[in-house]
Amino acid sequence: MSLLKPFSKLPGLNTANILLVESEEQFQQSLADVLVEETSVTVNVRLAKSLPLPMENDESRPRIDLVVFIINLTSELSFQSAEASLKYLDPGYFLGKVCFMVTNARSASAPAERLDAVRKLAASLHCPLLFAENQTPDGVASATERLLTILKVAAGLVPIATALYMSNLTRCTLPLDIDQPSFD
Amino acid sequence: MGSMDNTVKRLLERLVRRIPSRMLKTTLDKWSRLTATQRQSIDYTESKWALTEKLLAICEENELTVKHIAELEMIYVIENPNLGMWHAFQLMDPQDDAHSVELTQFKEQFKSHLSELIRHVSIKIKKHTDEAVWIRIAWGDTFSRPNHLKPTYVVHYLQTPYVFLSSLTSKQKPLLSQALVLSTRYQAIKDANLSGRKLTAIRDLLMKQYLQVFPTKFPSPLAERNRVVSNLHIEKEQAGSAANRHQMACEAFGDGLLPQLQSAVYKLETKFRDHTNKTMTERDEPFRCVVKFASTNLLESLRHSASSGVASTPVTPLLSSVPLKGKNYFVITDNGPGPSSQMKPSQK
Repeated sequence: MSLLKPFSKLPGLNTANILLVESEEQFQQSLADVLVEETSVTVNVRLAKSLPLPMENDESRPRIDLVVFIINLTSELSFQSAEASLKYLDPGYFLGKVCFMVTNARSASAPAERLDAVRKLAASLHCPLLFAENQTPDGVASATERLLTILKVAAGLVPIATALYMSNLTRCTLPLDIDQPSFD
Repeated sequence: MGSMDNTVKRLLERLVRRIPSRMLKTTLDKWSRLTATQRQSIDYTESKWALTEKLLAICEENELTVKHIAELEMIYVIENPNLGMWHAFQLMDPQDDAHSVELTQFKEQFKSHLSELIRHVSIKIKKHTDEAVWIRIAWGDTFSRPNHLKPTYVVHYLQTPYVFLSSLTSKQKPLLSQALVLSTRYQAIKDANLSGRKLTAIRDLLMKQYLQVFPTKFPSPLAERNRVVSNLHIEKEQAGSAANRHQMACEAFGDGLLPQLQSAVYKLETKFRDHTNKTMTERDEPFRCVVKFASTNLLESLRHSASSGVASTPVTPLLSSVPLKGKNYFVITDNGPGPSSQMKPSQK
């Protein structure tokens, strides 16, 4: 099984590489367009629908510093695709180099159970869970900013901070009453 | 005189209500039954009710009959064919001279055959600029005059076997079919199982007037020149499989703007199959079920589901049959023996 490994290649100078995985292939494009505008660091964005990644690209692919799973909470397919992709990552990624980003959390067609399931998944893997608004340029910009903060740490470009240390602070935690029925 | 006036009044009222104010002027101008002075005297900013009264007065002045109002209605419908529900039919088994039937012959034959079949009927035939022959039929019977309030519209493209019908009752159907078959020199007519709100869409689908994509081994021969790179720092890992999916979706459904179909209906008469549910699987009778897909543009939605991976590629014949066969109503039965048989859409 071809696992994506976090440290099997050399890093680039002042470079950070991010992999955005999204079954619907929509939000990732808007994020990518804003991510590459970052000036202090060279950001390379790789886009994928799901894992595993094609073997043909293994040679040319740079070292991936951060893997982001984008899940649309109104789509079960989106969630299942992300979940199924997890097993193609080397466990080393789960020490601060994986992050979950969800969209449409406020939508009426997003069942609460799905958000709970994503929360439990993120919490069990010790990964941060970010909420993003993908319809407006402002939403895309603020999601990009947050990803860049985590990305720079994961790429080792921030002195003193490491991905593992940061993930201890940012990882998703479950509220104690997550299994209780909600008020609506 | 009294009852005729009433029909004229009712038909005109309905028509004025139906035609949007912004189109009323152009439609009336095309009609050419009003003099220039009369046309100029109409104030289109008035309410529909006031306009109806004005037009009724003008029609009385010109001694216009219900046939003239029917003409006006036809002009409006021909310009706006994408209203109401249209059903496609196909003529079968052409006789030797079917392909040389031309307009005058068709008109004469159709009128004569239909009038023979039914005593009171009012027929208007008009040829439109795009080679379509439009027929408006007001049906009566042995005892009553033609009812102009419930006309049937027929559109036929000469030298093609296609006929499109709107507002036809089951009683009228055999009469119309007979008249059509005889006047076009074919031997039979059958339901093409294609229907939709937009005449132009179902016509384009049947006559394949949209961008077809043919299967090819090398879809983009000049890959270096055709590369669309948004940014050197953004790379799509699975661009190859995405391009494949897109190619297969376009091969199945076509490229560019697709004819706007609103729905596809699959009537299943297949046996229930699920190993975990013995009670249902053991039944001999087929499990009847109707699956309906609905959308503002069904073909676009299907193409997008295939190219985005939601529908698996290569596209299943159940879906690709819609554009391929030009149908949107299918009856699916179990064909062939045994549980390993595939489900094939069978045309009924």
